[in-house]
Amino acid sequence: MMKLLDISKKYGEITHKYPFEPYKVADNFRGKPAYIFDLCIGCAACGIACPSNAITVQFNNDQSKLIWEFDCGRCIFCGRCDEVCPTGAIKLSEEFELAVKFDKSALIQRGELDTQYCTTCNKPFSAKRLVKYSFECLSKANVSEKRLEEAKEYLCMCPTCKKTATVATFTSGKEMVIE
Amino acid sequence: MKTYEIPQEIQDANTLEQKLDLLKNIGRSFSVFRIDCGSCNGCEIEIFAAITPLWDPERFGFKLVANPRHADILLCTGPVTRQMYYPLLRAYEATPDPKIVVALGACGVTGGIFYDAYSVLSGIDKIIPVDAYIPGCPPHPASIIYGLTTALGVMEQKLQKVSFEHDGDMPPLVEDSVLGNTLFERDLLVHAKRLMSYVFGRKLFDKYISALVKSGNTKDAKATKISITEAMQIEDDPRYAECMGILHNEIYTHYVMCEEEDKIDLHRVIWGAK
Ligand code: SF4
Ligand code: SF4
Ligand code: SF4
Repeated sequence: MMKLLDISKKYGEITHKYPFEPYKVADNFRGKPAYIFDLCIGCAACGIACPSNAITVQFNNDQSKLIWEFDCGRCIFCGRCDEVCPTGAIKLSEEFELAVKFDKSALIQRGELDTQYCTTCNKPFSAKRLVKYSFECLSKANVSEKRLEEAKEYLCMCPTCKKTATVATFTSGKEMVIE
Repeated sequence: MKTYEIPQEIQDANTLEQKLDLLKNIGRSFSVFRIDCGSCNGCEIEIFAAITPLWDPERFGFKLVANPRHADILLCTGPVTRQMYYPLLRAYEATPDPKIVVALGACGVTGGIFYDAYSVLSGIDKIIPVDAYIPGCPPHPASIIYGLTTALGVMEQKLQKVSFEHDGDMPPLVEDSVLGNTLFERDLLVHAKRLMSYVFGRKLFDKYISALVKSGNTKDAKATKISITEAMQIEDDPRYAECMGILHNEIYTHYVMCEEEDKIDLHRVIWGAK
C-alpha cells in the first residue's frame, strides 16, 4: 500500500481535466472535415475519393441543384477528401466533440449548388461554379485569346455534346492548330 | 428492412421520461456494458484507452461491468454482423429497463466503412433504438468521454445540421502564377504531394514558392538557383531541403530555359547541409 502511494507521489496527477478544461489534440490530428461552402465548386472529387461514401454529390430530383452532402456518422477520418479537393473547401479540422443525442441528422452537412445546363442539349451536367473555376484556371494558364474564346463555348457543353462537336470540327476540316 | 419488433413491455418501460428519470435519480455509478457487434477492435482499444487513469471516466461514475444484467448503459460498437445479431438482441433484452443505448464509432452509427458489405446490418439503430451517437473511426478517448457525458446531459451537444441552400458568388480561387503560367504551380503541387504526401507536400510547396519569390526575378535561372540553395541550407528538416532541390531540378527546369549547371546538386555535402 505504501509502495503504491510512493509511486503515485512520484508520477503526480496525470488525469486530463477534460471535459472541465478544453483538451488540446496532437498536431495533424484528423478531426471532423470542415466544409467551407463558399469555396466548393462541386467538382465531386471528394465524393469519388471518399472510401466510405460519407460524401455524396448528386443532383436533386428536379435536377435544378447539385447537392453536396456529408454524413459525419459514416466518415472514417482518412483525409482523402482533403487530399483531393482542388480549392481547399474541405479540410480536416481539430474538432473531436462530435457526439449527438437522439437525432442522427445533426451529423449531416450539405450545400446546394446551381446546376449548369448544356448549351446544346439543355441537359444538366455540372455545377455553374465548376465551369467558372475551369475558365478562371485556363485564363491564367498562358493560353491565347482565341483559345479562351473557344473554351468559353466548350466549357458549357455536356461531355456528349462536346464529343459530337469535336468530331464535327475535325471532319469538316475546321480544326485549328493549337498555338 | 424491419428486422426486430421491440416487445411492447420493453417499449413501455423505455420512454424518454423514464430514461431522464433514471439519469436524475440514479444515486450510484453508471454501469456500462460493452458489446462488440463485429467491430474491427479499433473502437475497443480506444474504449480501454478511455478507461485508463489518463482519462479516468470513474470521475463521472462510469464503470464497465461484465454482464448486461448489471448494466444501465449499453455501449455498442461495430456494424452488427449477422453472427452478432442475436447476441445483441439477447444483451438488449437482458438489460434492466430503462436502458440507454450508445452507438460508438462510425460503424455503430451508420455502418462506417463497412456500410454496404454483404454480411452486416449497417448500424446499431437499424435494430434497436439508440440514444446517443459517437462518430469517429475510432473515436478519440476524449470523444468517448464527451459522448458519454453528453448522453448524461453533463455536456451540451455541439453539432447541428448545417445546410447551405443559397448558391452565392464564389471568391476568386485561382491565384496569379509566379511564372505567369498556372500550369507550373499545378505541376509543382502534384509533384510536392507525390514526394511528401498531401499535408507536408503543401508545406513544401509553400516553402518552395516563397524561396522562389525571394530570388527577385523568378524567371532568372541563376538567381533562383542561389535563392533555393540558400533556403535549403537554412532549412532544419533535411526532407524538405532535399525535396526542394528535387522540385527545382524536375519541375522548374521544364518551365524556364535552364542549362545543366543551373540544376542543384542534391549531394548533401555539396549544397552544404548543416
Ligand atoms: S475524411 Fe475520408 S471518410 Fe471522411 S469524408 Fe473525407 S474522404 Fe470521406
Ligand atoms: S470543391 Fe472540394 S469539397 Fe467541393 S466537390 Fe470539389 S473536392 Fe468536394
Ligand atoms: S468505427 Fe472504425 S475503428 Fe471502430 S469498429 Fe468501425 S472500422 Fe473499427
